[in-house]
Amino acid sequence: MDLETESRLVRLCIEAACESRESVEKWRKQRRTLESMPSPLADALLRRLFLGRLVFPSLLEVFKRSVEVVDLKGENNVDAEWMAYLGAFRYLRSLNLADCHRINNSALWSLVGMTSLKEVDISGCSKVTDAGIRYLVSISTLQILRVSETGVTADGIKLLSSLTNLSVLDLGGLPVTDTALSSLQVLTKLEYVDLWGSNISNKGVTVLRKFPKLSFLSLAWTSVTRLPNLSSLECLNLSNCTINDVLEDNGKKACLTKLICSGATFSNEAKAFLYFDTCFLSFLDLSNSSLNGFYFLHHLKALEYLDLSSSMIVDDSIEAVASIGANLRNLNLSKTRVTSAGVAILVGHVPKLENLSLSHTPIDDLTISYIGTMPLLKHVDLNNTIIKGFIHQGGAEPNLIPSLTALHSLKGLESLNLECANINDAAVDPLSSFKELRLLSLKSPSLTDFSLHHLSSLPSIRNLRICDAVLTNSGLFSFRPPATLEMLDLRGCWLLTEDALLSFCKRYPLIEVRHEHVVSTSDQTACHRPTPPRTFLRPSQVNQKQGKLPVSQYFIDQRLKYTREELLALQFQSSYLGPSFDKSLAKPKIENAVYCRAVQTSCIDNYLPGKDLCFDFAPSKILKRKRTTFGLPIRMPSTSSKRKGSTPRTMGERRVLSPVPTRNLI
Amino acid sequence: MRKEDTVKLISAEGFEFVIHKEAAMVSQTIRNMLTSPGSFAETEHGEVTFPEISTTILEKICQYFYWSLQYANGKETEFPIEPELTLELMMAANYLHT
Repeated sequence: MDLETESRLVRLCIEAACESRESVEKWRKQRRTLESMPSPLADALLRRLFLGRLVFPSLLEVFKRSVEVVDLKGENNVDAEWMAYLGAFRYLRSLNLADCHRINNSALWSLVGMTSLKEVDISGCSKVTDAGIRYLVSISTLQILRVSETGVTADGIKLLSSLTNLSVLDLGGLPVTDTALSSLQVLTKLEYVDLWGSNISNKGVTVLRKFPKLSFLSLAWTSVTRLPNLSSLECLNLSNCTINDVLEDNGKKACLTKLICSGATFSNEAKAFLYFDTCFLSFLDLSNSSLNGFYFLHHLKALEYLDLSSSMIVDDSIEAVASIGANLRNLNLSKTRVTSAGVAILVGHVPKLENLSLSHTPIDDLTISYIGTMPLLKHVDLNNTIIKGFIHQGGAEPNLIPSLTALHSLKGLESLNLECANINDAAVDPLSSFKELRLLSLKSPSLTDFSLHHLSSLPSIRNLRICDAVLTNSGLFSFRPPATLEMLDLRGCWLLTEDALLSFCKRYPLIEVRHEHVVSTSDQTACHRPTPPRTFLRPSQVNQKQGKLPVSQYFIDQRLKYTREELLALQFQSSYLGPSFDKSLAKPKIENAVYCRAVQTSCIDNYLPGKDLCFDFAPSKILKRKRTTFGLPIRMPSTSSKRKGSTPRTMGERRVLSPVPTRNLI
Repeated sequence: MRKEDTVKLISAEGFEFVIHKEAAMVSQTIRNMLTSPGSFAETEHGEVTFPEISTTILEKICQYFYWSLQYANGKETEFPIEPELTLELMMAANYLHT
């Protein structure tokens, strides 16, 4: 039972039951209730206990008559002791032990003779070898078995032939040989066979014809070059294979719905596609493939998902894509040489397109107007392109027209990635009126506080990324995030200080903030465990306690990014926010602020050749500088009481600026 | 309170809880019992017997009905559940679809 579908009171009960060790102790003695519990409830309760790390082996015993599904994927502490209890689960139907690294052959011994077990996943349990398979084959009820990336050899695979009820068999990453595969031909119920990375040859692969129900087959990363005609196939994965030939016979052609050829090489792709019935092909992944001709695409009328990323496709072949665009919903052209002229060919031919990726392509602002004609687009990825946000109009006086206004026709746009280095505040301006936009990603050193404030008017934004921008502390302070905002990603905004970010996190505790100065809690916990829903990323105290700041390689001398003209332009852009700044916050920090002002002014003076140029970084904008963002060694005076006793942090030795003369600047 | 607006819920031990119909309707199962066409005893007398639900749990369930109504009206308080009751309450809630 999913947490979403179960009723609210059931969910509240499960939460209360799994609140702590103590609450578990309060109910674990109620044996009769636990035994009579319907299995969906027991499964949900146990799953929640796992998530809360409240399960210890002997607690499992109370569930032995109720639980049917156990998912322990990635639990590193699951060992033979746990398995001894799980082996006693009378009605256990499905057991997932994938990536449980302490599972070995003897741990699997507990499963011998289980009578209701239908599904076992031990993928990634590298300690399991052929001896473990001997234990598993005693469970004659098994229908689904996943043993990929274990220590099983070809001999162990031969043993599987006694599991005659198998319909799904995942042997990925195992040394399956031709003889091992041929010994499995008694398994006529097989529908799903994964053989990626196996040692199957062209000869061995013909055995697959003995499986009349085979609908899913993966031969990725094998040396198979000649495919037999498998008429029952629906999904075929040939990633990184070299396919020279598809064997023809008089039988029915395979009616594929999904074909993955990522990184595959075809000696004759047009011919290869002729051997499949592609009328119903809806999913085609040709990413990284070395295909040159794309004429075969003309026949794939039912295609909904097409991935051509990192392929050799150029503008000339886009016509083939346009000819089958009627049903396309997902098109990925990233990392190709497609230009705006290519995108122009798609106009009017892709009425159902929802997802479009053109990242890392040489497309320019003209593309935006073409994209604006694709009415149903929801997700658009344009990162790392040369989009500037303006179209130059010819004529005597060059006229700049904001190009992003063309996107206004896309009423359903939910996510937009515009991480292009040339975008500036004025270009972003038209974006603030999108009603449905939930995710917006920007990354440009020309963006300032202006964009941050302007984008706060997006009504349904949840995830806002403004990276590498010159946002300031005061800009962040006066930023009023929209109520819908869940995540604010400010990585690479090098002017923001830890204090400013911390105070923002305090004021808006429900917004997850990402920045180099904010250590996220999810980074610290293990990745495989889903974090509880309410946790947001907190600025961690860990760094302060350790007394050692992680010296980020990220904050190198940021002036490198800008030309002198850009630096000047940025100064004028960001000066408008000054008056709105709340003085109460600035006062206690004024000493540092003035100090920093001096440092920054002197840095920029050093950098700019003209003596008369004066950069006035007002104290309100830079509260406190902790790191050498200007590449200068700075010693910070330790003023805050929190750090009394610890030595002032020395960021460098050669040049230490004394705070005394800078006070005179007030 | 008019009799038509109330429902009587009877526990395994025979304790009777008279609550608002509106509150009882929080449970999908009770709603179906009370609104289903045909003349079932439940529909006619406004009485539902739960031979499987103990008095303590049924009382908690009734509290939950009223809490749920308040919650729906924007009063976001917490509904406290004693750990000892969680299992039985969970099963009752599962049965009542609430």
